[in-house]
Amino acid sequence: MSRVAPARRRAGVAPRVALLLAWFAVPLVPLLLWAAADRWSYPAVLPTDWGTTGWRQALDQGALPALGRSVLLGLAVAALATPAGAMAGRALALHRVPARRVVEALLLAPVAVPPFAVVMGLTTLALRLAIPAGAGLVVVLAVSAVPYTVFVMRAAYAGHDVGMEEEARTLGAGPRAVLLRVHLPLLAPALATAAFLAFLVGWSDYVVTLVVGGGRLVTLPMLVGALSSATGNDAVVAAVSLTAVLPPLALLVATALLARRGAR
Amino acid sequence: MPARRSRALLLLLPAVLPTAAVLGVALTVAVLQSTGLVPVVGEPEPSLAAYRELAGGRALLDGLRVSLGVAAASTALALAVGLGTALLARTTRLGGRLLRAAAAATVPVPHLVGAAAVGLLLADSGLVARTLSVAPGEFPPLVAGPWWAAVVAEYAWKESAFVALVVLAALAAGERELDETAATLGAGPWQRLRRVALPLAAPAAVGAGGVTFAYVLGSYDVAWLLGRSSPEPLPVLAYRLFTDVDLARREQALAVAVVTTVLALACLVLTAALLARTTRRAPA
Amino acid sequence: MSAELRVEGLRRGFGGAVVLDGIDLTVPAGGCVALLGPSGTGKSTVLRLVAGLDTPDAGRVTAGGRDLSGLAPERRGTALVGQRPRLFPHLSVLDNVAFPLAVAGRRRGAARAEAAGHLDLVGLGDLARRRPATLSGGQEQRVALARALAANPAVLLLDEPFSALDPGVRAEMHRLLADLRSAVSPTVLLVTHDRQEAAALADTVAVLLDGRIAQHDAVEALHTRPASLAVHRFLGGLVEVPGRVEDGAHVSALGRLVLPCPAPAGPGVLVVRQEAVGLVTAGDPAADATGAVGRVAPRGARSLVEVTTAAGTLAAEAGPGLAPPVGATVGLVLPVAQRWVVAQPAAG
Repeated sequence: MSRVAPARRRAGVAPRVALLLAWFAVPLVPLLLWAAADRWSYPAVLPTDWGTTGWRQALDQGALPALGRSVLLGLAVAALATPAGAMAGRALALHRVPARRVVEALLLAPVAVPPFAVVMGLTTLALRLAIPAGAGLVVVLAVSAVPYTVFVMRAAYAGHDVGMEEEARTLGAGPRAVLLRVHLPLLAPALATAAFLAFLVGWSDYVVTLVVGGGRLVTLPMLVGALSSATGNDAVVAAVSLTAVLPPLALLVATALLARRGAR
Repeated sequence: MPARRSRALLLLLPAVLPTAAVLGVALTVAVLQSTGLVPVVGEPEPSLAAYRELAGGRALLDGLRVSLGVAAASTALALAVGLGTALLARTTRLGGRLLRAAAAATVPVPHLVGAAAVGLLLADSGLVARTLSVAPGEFPPLVAGPWWAAVVAEYAWKESAFVALVVLAALAAGERELDETAATLGAGPWQRLRRVALPLAAPAAVGAGGVTFAYVLGSYDVAWLLGRSSPEPLPVLAYRLFTDVDLARREQALAVAVVTTVLALACLVLTAALLARTTRRAPA
Repeated sequence: MSAELRVEGLRRGFGGAVVLDGIDLTVPAGGCVALLGPSGTGKSTVLRLVAGLDTPDAGRVTAGGRDLSGLAPERRGTALVGQRPRLFPHLSVLDNVAFPLAVAGRRRGAARAEAAGHLDLVGLGDLARRRPATLSGGQEQRVALARALAANPAVLLLDEPFSALDPGVRAEMHRLLADLRSAVSPTVLLVTHDRQEAAALADTVAVLLDGRIAQHDAVEALHTRPASLAVHRFLGGLVEVPGRVEDGAHVSALGRLVLPCPAPAGPGVLVVRQEAVGLVTAGDPAADATGAVGRVAPRGARSLVEVTTAAGTLAAEAGPGLAPPVGATVGLVLPVAQRWVVAQPAAG
């Protein structure tokens, strides 16, 4: 049904919506233009020569292996942080938790504690204990992702009707069947959202990879950082940047579609 | 119910244990190392030398000033734009869907990519300078300039989307019905914004603002890419000291890390206190 | 400042389906009309249209002679209390009630003092400082009523306000609404699907069927002189005898039954409330119909007795312990004063 919106109030809304849409979209415009530019001399407003130089250079710079490493890192972080967040979210939403405030504060803390501080503190120790860099990286990032997965799953469990599972039990479903046929399908949208956010933590990270990998572990953000800190790379920077934006954007659309199907 | 209780503990373990271990160990090591108890080289000897040396130089004070200033400016901008977006999105159907989608699409952009994009936009040969056809050299130094404009712009851009999504989620729970109720009780659009929508959005906005401030304070990449080399924000300063060939500088780097962490945690505690006040207060 | 509410030719469709197909309704100043209808027939839509929360496709609404068309909800003076109380969670109980006074520009102190009076009116003066979240369902709905009254509305719109409450609390709220009506006599349009509630609270009842007001009348008249077979059935009427009207009498399988008042000649269905039908022994000369008892359904202290007659299954209510056994042959008396004929609906 239509909202309380007499004609007078509608006027002036469209320009404001357009302004805010521009605010969110404009920063991505130079990326799109540069990624399709062979040459773009100043002060031309549009590229002087269109082409795919940026993308070819990106391939030469190892964008593909970097993409693979980023995907692996994101997946590893999501694989650790999603189940941990789901279980903790369930406990916080449905159970009596001893020292609840302390637990909540601890699970929120990684949002506030700067990642560079965590990783600098850990590196010294990890070197002494000879912990492999990759494992350390994934664990640190998974801990950074836990607040998000806990938050999403806690909200999902708070709105989850346990009666639905009890109903399934009375209809003859065992615990396993209830988990697979009732519980997981009902929570699938929330799990997808939580996994997506955790994936993004691994996918977007720069400073933790920088410190742990010492610059030798090249993910997409590392490549973007290395290329854009030098000058004259604008086309390749744009190409690698888009490579770092498009996959999660596609994943976001897929998650949204899944959530919509779940809501239906 | 001891059985239920142990079940809750078991469920919490996979999240709580690594978090406590990673944060606890990292911060303990940082504190110990910055106070000379676990030196990189030489014998352990408790001292506050690293902190004293930092306090003596200008680097820490300058870093504090820049970091707090950038965080405050970014948070203020992000709150203004994000809150504006959320409050506007709730009044129009199509516009609301578009704004929601735009904000959601901003979330998966890595901050460093955002920084690269803002660089291509705001540099003296960037798209803005081209569009305004400014002569080379006459464009204000937004990137790597004294005002940290590009850095603040990038954080404000990404975090305004975050604020908008958090506030919209908070308003989704029944704000529309309350808005209608307020209208039938005689409240006009402005009164409804001031007396219903804003108070309902306030807790979410305060929470999102606190998280944004803490994040910007401790974030390295954007300030490193778009900022100037001196004075350095705290994370950039810490990384430079950490990678210095002089291993003794590591103690100072960890001292900076400890200072930043304390500030960020203080920000979170302050946010929690503010939240408690926002939810308790009862304006007429 | 209660005012007469007039609704004229109100139409509203959603996605091609016409929900309201020309609603005409008048609520006299200070009166209470119940809008009664089955679920999903657009009763709430009528209230939303009157309140200005939705825009009609056609038709208009006036309050005290003032045309409300195109006015924003906040300028109509039509406070609405819904099924859920919708109290502002960020305001105390007192400030919730003071809300309409505050937005009307009253100073905070004055608004709170006046709100306290309204809160006393619903008997919740002691809870002024509480948060809405700490109230019970009945208390919340009382606060919502007090808040709506504090807006001093020209018309008070009630959308099934008590249907989510326990039966005991509901009866209490009915008494409260009656008290409020005698204290401040607002004009009330009440939407409900509960016939008892409509009968208990309203002066007159408008029955909404198929997007139109099928009948607007006093409760008694709705039951004994329904405008159509649909109204009779909607109000729970079970006795209907198809036939035709000839010379002031109804002729059917039951024979010729004299009518108390004139009816147009031609096909017509004789209806009598089952509560008025008398049960007699099979041979009783007063019996208008005779048949075998098919089913006896207890209805609290009384029982509903279904009897298969030459004109189909008819029903009568029997007092405690007076229901005949299933299979017994009994006579039915359709009292002359209770007979009423409605038009035979088109086949289908």
